[in-house]
Amino acid sequence: MNELSIKELFRFEKTPLNLLIAILTVGLLGIFVAGATYYFIHGHHAFNVTRQHPWGLLIAMYVFFVVSSTGLCIISSIGHVFEVKEFQVIGKRAIAGAIITLLSGFAVIALEVGHPVRMLIYNVLTPGFTSAIWWMGTLYGIYLVFITFEFFFLTIKENHKWAKIFGIGGLLAGLAAHSNLGAVFGFLISRPTANGVFYPVYFILSAMITGCYLIYIIYGFKYKNSYPANIKAMLLKLNKILGMLLGILIFFEAWKIITALYGTMPERAETILHVIKSPTFIFGEVILGMLIPFIVILFSNAKAIKPMVYVSLAGMVGIFFMRYDLVHDTLIYPMDTLKRSEYQLPPTFIEYFPSATEFAIGFGGIGITLLLFYIAEKVFNLDVDTKH
Amino acid sequence: MARYGMALDYKNCINCRACETACKAENGILPGKDNYRIWIGQKEAEGEWPNISIVSQTYHPSQCQHCDNAPCQQVCPTNATYYDENRVVRVDPERCILCTYCINACPYDARYVDDRTVTVDKCNFCSDTRLANGETTTACQATCPTKVRTFGDLDDPNSEISQLLKTREYKQVKEHLGTKPKLFYLI
Repeated sequence: MNELSIKELFRFEKTPLNLLIAILTVGLLGIFVAGATYYFIHGHHAFNVTRQHPWGLLIAMYVFFVVSSTGLCIISSIGHVFEVKEFQVIGKRAIAGAIITLLSGFAVIALEVGHPVRMLIYNVLTPGFTSAIWWMGTLYGIYLVFITFEFFFLTIKENHKWAKIFGIGGLLAGLAAHSNLGAVFGFLISRPTANGVFYPVYFILSAMITGCYLIYIIYGFKYKNSYPANIKAMLLKLNKILGMLLGILIFFEAWKIITALYGTMPERAETILHVIKSPTFIFGEVILGMLIPFIVILFSNAKAIKPMVYVSLAGMVGIFFMRYDLVHDTLIYPMDTLKRSEYQLPPTFIEYFPSATEFAIGFGGIGITLLLFYIAEKVFNLDVDTKH
Repeated sequence: MARYGMALDYKNCINCRACETACKAENGILPGKDNYRIWIGQKEAEGEWPNISIVSQTYHPSQCQHCDNAPCQQVCPTNATYYDENRVVRVDPERCILCTYCINACPYDARYVDDRTVTVDKCNFCSDTRLANGETTTACQATCPTKVRTFGDLDDPNSEISQLLKTREYKQVKEHLGTKPKLFYLI
């Protein structure tokens, strides 16, 4: 740990990029507080969620944050759990990122769940063992404990043996928790587009991709695209891993769509047809999230480091749309069976657009991530130590 | 202990919506477009003027199906949704954390957020209002002018509903999902 004073905490190099990030962080934290305040006054009425569309942007942002956390944990484990030498440099910073993004996700979900304190009490007193949400929440709690200890033994105590033990525990708990988050959607028998094995597997895959994007962004920002040899070696290997993961994701997505459309099964085929024509899918998920990064890696023979930093920013926007569409697409087909009446038009695809409060809390959560990361960089030495 | 269900002679429904009103009055449902425990659906008349099939237009009273294998109960992380001693699917507002997972999981859109308790609410066959006071009918059944609804114990072979289901054919909504709904639409 570094010696730190309040004055030192606020001291940073005043480059245009640093100032921009500082202003962005303060702005995002401001809108988070404003959104939270408005929510405390108005409750769920501050959100545009309805009976037909009960989940919205905040669930998407929660998934976005915990996907980031799991992704960073998995990618960092390549180094300090599986002992691939090049990846040992990212251990501390990636685990710090995993803790920070998980806490940001918890901050967002605490404002989405109507009774978070009651949740903590009754999750223990009357656990619903058949509920994917119960498993997901409990396993994420265990995961947080593991990765916190892992970080402690990596950074403060510097005991590689214990760091590895907690790293393995964290990795397993993270994989279990995150696939359970996929099962939260996959278990919905009422929603044919989500129901099935796809989401639990897809969540792990997309988490790894998110982890890769974040590593490029974090190291790109830290080294301003001028990397020491060990970082360069890691980022080069990451290029290959990311390219392979994107290839698998594109393959998975393609087959998911083809099987959903094939045979025009009622409800499922109509929904997927509607989804693949939406701009958030085409421009967000496909072009930004998958195609641009994949093409850059493909045409650079997996040697693109500098471009990947910028492309990873686009990739993260794509990942956001993947999370948003995941929630929205699951819910767009109307459940109001037999509810047609003379006062109501026949059911159509349900529309949803987040309220200002949802935007404030959801995107404001990114401010929490940026602030905590800044503090972590100041307080801890996140660079590789010589013992590795 | 009973296993309550409801049979609906839905072709007798005249869409007067007295049941919706009675449900709201009996159970204190707040106003608002999303706040309802029961509803009347309508199947549009088929054909084009002047050849419209009047008999094709039917009304479908509906509500929570009180499934014997309820998806909403399975997904609840705190067991706030539970089967009571009469196999009625109910919500304990003390334990509900308002994660709204059950609203997503219900294939029948039978659940909504109740602003009185800020928890999820749904039809409970008037268990805490009429049944708790010794009544044997639900508010929607008691008020129906054309006797669409028959409420009773499915495990009692002599109950009116059991007799009806023995003598009449019926259909159920989305039974292919394996939810085992306890609302029976008499054909």
